[in-house]
Amino acid sequence: MFKITPEDDQKITEIFSDLKKQYQGYQDPWGFNLELCEKTLRTIMPFYRSYLKVRVFGAENVKDYPYIVASNHTGQIPLDAMLITMAFVMDVHPPRVLRAMVERFMAQLPFLGDFSAQTGAILGDRANCQYLLDRGESILVFPEGVRGISKNTPDFYKLRTFSQGFYRIALQKKTPILPVCVIGAEEMFPFVFHAKKLASFLKLPALPISANLFPLPSPIDIYIGKEISVPDHLQAESEDKEVKENIFHIENTIKRMLVHGLKNRRPFMDPIRKPISKYVIREFKTKGFK
Amino acid sequence: MTEAKKKILIIGIAGGLAQMTARLILSENPEWEILGIDSRDVSRVPKLPGLMALELKYSRGNFENLFRTHTFDVVYHLGRLSHASNTHNELAKRIDLSVMGTSRILDLCERSEVKKVIILSTFHVYGALPDNPIFLPEDAPLRASIKHPELRDVIEMDQMCTTWMWKNQNSISTVVLRPCNIIGTQIQNSMTRFLAGPIALSPIDYNPFFQFIHEFDMANILYKAMISIPIGTYNVAGDDFISFRQALDVVGTKGIPFPMFMAGGLNSALKKFKINVPDYLLDYLKFSCLISNHELKKHLGENHLRFSIKEALELIKLR
Repeated sequence: MFKITPEDDQKITEIFSDLKKQYQGYQDPWGFNLELCEKTLRTIMPFYRSYLKVRVFGAENVKDYPYIVASNHTGQIPLDAMLITMAFVMDVHPPRVLRAMVERFMAQLPFLGDFSAQTGAILGDRANCQYLLDRGESILVFPEGVRGISKNTPDFYKLRTFSQGFYRIALQKKTPILPVCVIGAEEMFPFVFHAKKLASFLKLPALPISANLFPLPSPIDIYIGKEISVPDHLQAESEDKEVKENIFHIENTIKRMLVHGLKNRRPFMDPIRKPISKYVIREFKTKGFK
Repeated sequence: MTEAKKKILIIGIAGGLAQMTARLILSENPEWEILGIDSRDVSRVPKLPGLMALELKYSRGNFENLFRTHTFDVVYHLGRLSHASNTHNELAKRIDLSVMGTSRILDLCERSEVKKVIILSTFHVYGALPDNPIFLPEDAPLRASIKHPELRDVIEMDQMCTTWMWKNQNSISTVVLRPCNIIGTQIQNSMTRFLAGPIALSPIDYNPFFQFIHEFDMANILYKAMISIPIGTYNVAGDDFISFRQALDVVGTKGIPFPMFMAGGLNSALKKFKINVPDYLLDYLKFSCLISNHELKKHLGENHLRFSIKEALELIKLR
């Protein structure tokens, strides 16, 4: 039904030719496999381009050095990590494979754990982040954690409180934060029931049961904000209060990007989406930013 | 300048690694004396000038007599039982030997003013868990027994040794070594047998990473622990690592693709025929447990191993 376009096919060949030179002799203890990344990208490219019609804004904000990319977490199934990673390969210059931090739950899964590790995902742990940043890799974090996914409809696009871990690593390594927001992923599964008790019984982080088994073609917009440097006077062991102030700044930046993105998104299932957008924007405006 | 003549006790001399260590010590210091003891048969211990091997039960009386009749400068405790069997009797025997036996040894070392004690623990104390960060440092929590209570003797022994080490730090220099998988043609452990067999189960749903150290390198580090490693606990591994499937390819062992979610049941069935692998090892086929060698390198330098992982794996083909 959907086929990769010759332009994308050619672009992937060129990008991976450069990446292979860059990663020559590279081996990491999670089994990162650039060839598998390329193969996977070719397979799912039509899903990215033609089905979800992903648009990327702010690609010019990305410079040629390592970042901690911090994004809102959306969707019942967190496809946002995959989409952001694809955006940073296909639509950002210089292209890079972001190393997404995942939950322990993911590492336990047969097949999927190994596959995700080979395509760049790693267990979200400080030691792992430090190892990758030391090697010049950029990492992708979802500071909301698992609480960010599987939201009920009224909570779509609402940010959960950010954890501090990613910022303390940024302070330690003096790595700039790149704020990112994803618009559209919440509506891929618009009607869900959260089987919390069953999820708890099965030891799953969440178990959303949706009317549609396959994600709806909700158009995706990815906004990349301007980098936020970490202040020199703060250290990795600085007090919570000082660290939180800076994290609030990142949260607010992403919230503003969300409001802008929700106002400017493309039409899709508008009878459902418009009230959601209005509700979220009103909430942000009435309650204000932190 | 040659070092003063030393008398060394090696506990567990029937093991291949202990024998290699003894050979290395005597080749470097021919005038030194080594007494090797083991509760197992010692008739296969090589007859070397300066090495005397005794078959001895690890009872208090026997040990006390040993320390009364000899004055040891250095004690190597390499006599921990392997975890190849998980039966109740075996567990009781292991706890008696690994924990109670070690307690007796440490007590006697303290009383008889031994100057250096070197203890061989294992990286298995950390456990193979899905949330293991890479390159676990020595102060990482010892979590092996969370899923496998049968490993509690290994952890208890390790913790007992480290506590004792710091308690006696002013009088005895103790080194606790936690090596990664030791492999070689002379060592008889589960991992070497597993890799060097004609066939091996190869998980299709997981592909964890491993660190291996060749037995010669391990013996060399045991020797260096006596002369140039100060008091402390040290992980022992090289800088490189390898995925399980790659390791099988290097050894040339035919991997039988197998889903790990069925491995537990199959392993239980194989127990009846006594051809099972220890349950805890199955976790190592799912999740990586890689250790940091940062502390050891401070004392032994960057190139502290002779064999890379690939070379070590190629050498076990000679088995």
